[in-house]
Amino acid sequence: MAQELVNVIFQPSGRRGEVPKGSNIIEASRLLGVDIEALCGETKVCGKCIVRVEEGHFEKYNIQSSMDHVTPWQEEVEAKFINPENKEKGFRLGCVAKIEDDILVFVPEESRAGKQVVSKAARDIKIDFNPMIKLYTIELKQPDFEDKIGDWERLTNGLAREYGLKDLSVDIITLRTLPRTIREKNWTVTVSVWNDKEVIRIQPGRVERAYGIAIDVGTTTCAGYLCDLTTMEVIATSSIMNPQCKYGEDVMARITFHMTTPGGLKRMSEDIIEGINSLIDKAISLTHPKKKKIRKKKGDDGPVEYKEILEEGVEYLRISKEDIEDVTIGFNTAMHHILLGLDPEPVGLAPFPPVIHHSLDIKARDLGININPSSYIFAMPNEAGFVGGDNVGVLLAEEPYKGDEIQLIIDIGTNGELILGNRHKLYSSSCATGPAMEGAQLAFGMRAAPGAIERIEIDPDTQDVDYRVIGHDKSRKFSKPEDMKVKGICGSGILDVLAELYRSGVITKTGVFNKKALKKNPRFRKNADTRQPEFVLAWEEDSSIGKDIVITQKDVRQIQLAKGALYAGCKLMMKRMGIEKVDTVKIAGAFGTHVDREKALVMGLFPDCEIENIHGVGNAAGDGCRAALLNKKKRDEANWCARNVQYLELTVEPSFEKDFMEAMQMPHMTDKFPHLEGVVPDHVLNQGPKGPVKPDQKN
Amino acid sequence: MSNQEEILAELREAVVEYEEDDCAEAAQRALDEGVDPMIAVMEGLAAGMEEVGVLFDTNEYFVPEVLMCADALYKGLDILRPHITLEGDAPKASVVIGSIQGDVHDIGKNLVKMMFDVAGWDVYDLGRDVPLESFVEKQLDVNSDVLAMSAMMTTTMMGMKKVIAMVKEKNPECLIMLGGAPVTRDVANLFGADGYAESAGNAVSEGIKMIGRLREFQKGDIK
Repeated sequence: MAQELVNVIFQPSGRRGEVPKGSNIIEASRLLGVDIEALCGETKVCGKCIVRVEEGHFEKYNIQSSMDHVTPWQEEVEAKFINPENKEKGFRLGCVAKIEDDILVFVPEESRAGKQVVSKAARDIKIDFNPMIKLYTIELKQPDFEDKIGDWERLTNGLAREYGLKDLSVDIITLRTLPRTIREKNWTVTVSVWNDKEVIRIQPGRVERAYGIAIDVGTTTCAGYLCDLTTMEVIATSSIMNPQCKYGEDVMARITFHMTTPGGLKRMSEDIIEGINSLIDKAISLTHPKKKKIRKKKGDDGPVEYKEILEEGVEYLRISKEDIEDVTIGFNTAMHHILLGLDPEPVGLAPFPPVIHHSLDIKARDLGININPSSYIFAMPNEAGFVGGDNVGVLLAEEPYKGDEIQLIIDIGTNGELILGNRHKLYSSSCATGPAMEGAQLAFGMRAAPGAIERIEIDPDTQDVDYRVIGHDKSRKFSKPEDMKVKGICGSGILDVLAELYRSGVITKTGVFNKKALKKNPRFRKNADTRQPEFVLAWEEDSSIGKDIVITQKDVRQIQLAKGALYAGCKLMMKRMGIEKVDTVKIAGAFGTHVDREKALVMGLFPDCEIENIHGVGNAAGDGCRAALLNKKKRDEANWCARNVQYLELTVEPSFEKDFMEAMQMPHMTDKFPHLEGVVPDHVLNQGPKGPVKPDQKN
Repeated sequence: MSNQEEILAELREAVVEYEEDDCAEAAQRALDEGVDPMIAVMEGLAAGMEEVGVLFDTNEYFVPEVLMCADALYKGLDILRPHITLEGDAPKASVVIGSIQGDVHDIGKNLVKMMFDVAGWDVYDLGRDVPLESFVEKQLDVNSDVLAMSAMMTTTMMGMKKVIAMVKEKNPECLIMLGGAPVTRDVANLFGADGYAESAGNAVSEGIKMIGRLREFQKGDIK
C-alpha cells in the first residue's frame, strides 16, 4: 500500500521535502534534517518545540499552507505553553500537531536545537510597561524677532506645554547636539527623557522606537537581552564568556587576584567592560543583515568591502550603538564590585559586607560602555556579599513576595543561591556548589555543546544505560553507535546521572557503588591507572574521542558535595522559617529549563515536594534584569527586595555541618520523601545503611 | 581470640561502621575488663579510624561517613580518656587550633582536632572566624607546641602569613601547621609554616594518617 505523502517546508532553514501524511512536525523535522528542540522526547510535557504553521499561498514553493492542514489544537496540552494570542498566530507544539496536508512551518529561534544550547534564552514573563526612557516628539515654532528665546528653553517650554514635563535637565553632551538637531527637520524633534527628569538624547523629526539592553553578568557567562523600549519585545539575545575567567573560575579566585596582583582590579574591570561592549555589539549585529566579503579583482589593493545578504521577508532594524538608550545590569556582588572598580576585598572576608547595597545610576560614558553617551547604566542593588543583583533579578522575575504560596527558588550557577518565602517573610542565602554541576572537575564533564550527554536513563533491572547527546535527536537505544559521537557529560546530564545511578541501584544511598549488585555488570570496573571504581556510561564505539565515557566514584562524590550544599541550605532556611514543606520549587540557572524535575527530586537537590510543583524557570536573573529595564517601578522594587530579604549565612548556623553531611546522601540520610514513592523502587527508597536489597534477593 | 583482642576488634568495627552506641558499649567493656585505656584508644578507636582513612582514600567513604565515624570515635573516647594516666610528670603536648578570620568553614579543622584529641593532647579550639591576634595571644598564653590554622578560601588564606610572622617573632619554637583547600606546599613554605595538609579531602586523610604514625610512635613507647 503506497503511503500518502505531503509537502513540508521549514523556515528559516528552507529545508523541504515529502513526509508521510500523519507524521507530527517533530518527526517531519527529523526526516528533513531540521533541528527542533524536543527535550521531553515528544511526551508533550516540555513545551520546547513551539513552531508556527503559516497561513496562505507561498509562491516561491508553490504550496498552500494552512493551520487547518494539521490536526486540531489540543487545549489541555498546548495551552500550557502557548498563549491565546500566539495560538491565533498559528503557534503549535511540534510534537502535537500532525501533518494532514502541505504546510510551511516557521521554527522560532528559541525552538531551534543545537547552536543555542549555551545561551540563556529569555522567557515569557509578565512585565508592566513603564520604561525609564520615554520618547516625546514635539513640533516647535521657528524663532523670529518676536520670539528669540534659546533653543533649550524653546524645547522645554514646548514639552511642558504639550506633555506637562517640568524641571527637565540636560546632559552636556546631549545639549551640544541640540542646535543642529532642532533645525534639521523643520523644528520637529523627538527627545528621550530619563525618569521624566533628564533629556539624554535629541533626534531630528519623529522617532518611534527606543532600545535598551538588559545584561546578566555571570561569573562564567554573560547574557544580553536587546529590547524595544516601546513594545517591550526582545529583539535579540547574545551571550559571551566572562573574559575574567582567565583570572580564576570562581568569585573568590577573582577577589584573590585583586588582592595579590597590583592593578588586578583595573584589569578585570576593563576586561568585563570590553566584554559588555562586545556583548552589545553582538546583539546589535543581529539586527543587521549578514555581510559577505566582496571578492576583489586581482591587483585591487583597495579596502575590503562587504556586501549585505538580505534574507527574504526579514525586516532589518539596523540598530546602532547610539540607539541603545538604557542598560540594566544584574550581577553577583563580587562581579558588581569588580565591574564598577569598587574594592571587592571585604566581600571576600567574613562577614562579607558589600560596599553598597543600593542600586546605582551611572553615566555610560563614565564606565566606558559604548552606547548613547548621555544614557545611564542601572546597576542592580546588592543583597549581601554573596547574593547580589542577580539574585534580586530572580526575585523580580518570580515575585515570591506577592503571594501567600511559599516558594523555594534555587539558582544553580558557580555559586548556588537560594530564596525561600512568601509575602510575609523572605530569606535568601548562598552556598558554594562549586563548578561540578556545570561539568567542571568531573572526569568527563563538559559544557553544554554538541557531543555532551544531556539525558540519562538507567534500567533498574539490567542496569543498562540509555542516553541522549546534544546534537543528535535520538537516544542511544534508537541509534547506531557511530551516530552518538559522545564526548562527555554536561550540566543537565550531571543532574540526571546521580538520580539514575541511585534509582537503578548502581550506587547506594551513601553514594558508593553497589559492588554486590554490579558484580556481573561489565560497565562497572576499577580503573587500571587510578584504582578508582568507575561506571561506563557510553562505550568507546559511541564516542568521538576514542574512549569509554565513565562516571567515577570521585565524580559522584563531587556532585554529592554540590547537591548536599544546596539541600542543606534549603533545609536551614526552612528551619529558620519554621516550615516543614514548601508549596513550590523553582529551579533557575543556565540549565534551569533543561532540568528534569522528577530527577532533581530523586537525587535530593531539595527537600520533598510534589513533583508537579517543581518548575524550571531558566535564567530568572536575566529575566528580572529585563523587567527592571522595561518597568522602572521594578527598580524601586529591586531596592526594596535588596533590603527586605533577610540574608542567612548558612555556614554559621549551628546545625550546618550536620545538615550538610546528612544532605550528601540520596535523596537524604534521614528525611522522608513521600512523593518519591512509586517513582523510586521501594527497596531503593527505603534501603538500609548498607545499600538496597531487592525483594527477591532477601535471605 | 583473647578478651582484649575481641574488645579492640569491637571498638574498631564500631568506629568503621559508625555505630555510636556500640562504640560506647565496647569502651565501657574495655574498662570493666581491665584493658589499658591507652591501648583501647590506640589499638581500638584510632586503628578503626585508620581503616576509615583507607576507605576514604578509595572513595568508599565520603565526608558524611567519616564524620559519623568521628562521632562514634568520640563516644568511646569520652569514656576512655578520663582513665588514661600519664607516666611520670611529663607535660602533655598541646595545640591551639582554629579557622582563620574571615573563614567560617570548619569541617576539616574538626577532623584534625580529632586527631589531637585521640593522641591525648591538650586541645585549645578557638573555633572559626578567629581574629589573627587571638591565635597569637592564645599561643603565647598556653605556650602550645603546635599552632594549627585552616582556611577554606583563598581570600582568607592571606591572614595566615601575618599570624605566622607574629608568632614566630615571639615564640620561634612553636610548630605551625596549615590546612585547607587553597593551601599548597608552596604557600606553606612561603608563609614560613612547618607543615601543611594538601587539600580539603587530604586534610581528612592526612589527619588520619597522622593518627597512624602516632600509633606506631606510641607502640614503641609502651613496649
